[in-house]
Amino acid sequence: MTFSHINRRVHLYLGLALLPWLFMYGVSSVPFAHNQFFNQRDKTKGLPDWTLRSARPLERPVPESAAALRSFGAVLLTESGIEGTNFGAYRQSPTQLHVYSYTFWKSTRLTYFVDQKRVVVEDRRFRWDQFLTGMHARGGFEQEGFLQNSWSVVVDLVCLGILTWIASGLYMWWALPDQRRWGWLAIAAGTAAFAVFTVRL
Amino acid sequence: MYLALFLFPWMLMYAVSTLAMNHRALFVDLYGPDPAPFQMERKAVYDGVFPEHANPGAIARQLLASAGLQGAHGVTRRTDGTIVVNRHDLLTPRRLTYSPADRTLIVEKMSPRGNAFLERFHRRRGYATGYRLDTLWAVSVDLVIAAMLFWVLSGLWMWWEMKATRAVGASALLTGVGLFVLYLGAL
Repeated sequence: MTFSHINRRVHLYLGLALLPWLFMYGVSSVPFAHNQFFNQRDKTKGLPDWTLRSARPLERPVPESAAALRSFGAVLLTESGIEGTNFGAYRQSPTQLHVYSYTFWKSTRLTYFVDQKRVVVEDRRFRWDQFLTGMHARGGFEQEGFLQNSWSVVVDLVCLGILTWIASGLYMWWALPDQRRWGWLAIAAGTAAFAVFTVRL
Repeated sequence: MYLALFLFPWMLMYAVSTLAMNHRALFVDLYGPDPAPFQMERKAVYDGVFPEHANPGAIARQLLASAGLQGAHGVTRRTDGTIVVNRHDLLTPRRLTYSPADRTLIVEKMSPRGNAFLERFHRRRGYATGYRLDTLWAVSVDLVIAAMLFWVLSGLWMWWEMKATRAVGASALLTGVGLFVLYLGAL
């Protein structure tokens, strides 16, 4: 078995194993790149983005540090019957705290109005474009839980996979002497265009 | 193949920037949680004249043109009338602050950070800015999207054409699809 053979097999099998992610990142880039179209299309439906689930009184001091704020957000979610989801807690203003809880399929927003001493829980209406962009943007190692972090490990694998495809693809192209001239032209044109974008945008 | 060779800088940028974004916590440890600070670049009295009742967008474009910084930007007008223009330059983002009271124009540039540069690149998209180069960039992003979907389909077809790789390939594909479906249900 030659290096060229191994290179081709790695290129192929890595591509097949990571194919769902490559497909997902491709499709989900469409609503990112054309978000105005999708937002305007949704606006014509005239449906509210958020629906009230519950509201209750609450009077509790909001912690300052990021770690304590996250713990506080987790407690508020648990008290609202939401557990085991990814979430983030953000101090919107001195009088408002937002806790976003999300899965691929469902998003919930908890707002603590400090000055009004009440907590409001709202569910976001499902939208396919937001489902896709949510999946696209999922990553990082800030969440608790093995499965949550393992997704981020796969995201790393996809990135390393793309770097491997680039390197193995270049090697396969170089092994085809008849294709070198046009290949060089494609590389030069792409690199030059990219350099212009980098400097001028 | 030629499409892949042409687009490899884009794929390289998207892969490296995703790695940086996936490990943002490392950069927060390095730089702190706040965005990169701005540094004063120049300060001058702006002696240009704005059309009567000019909106912030028109004022921003005039300020950018006079500073030689035309390109994608955002603009806000503060309650005291100060115009703040954020020029979304990929390499060096700048902030222009024009104070009508004393007609001063301050130009500040953002301190360079590798991860922030990659993230700006990754997030740059859309046709809304009205600048020709941004529109061309948006077209190139659409081309990358189309290429990714084409590579998925053409890759499947090429694999199926090679009978010797069908069994191992099917195992790799089923493993990937199975894992993806698991995540879809669980996350």
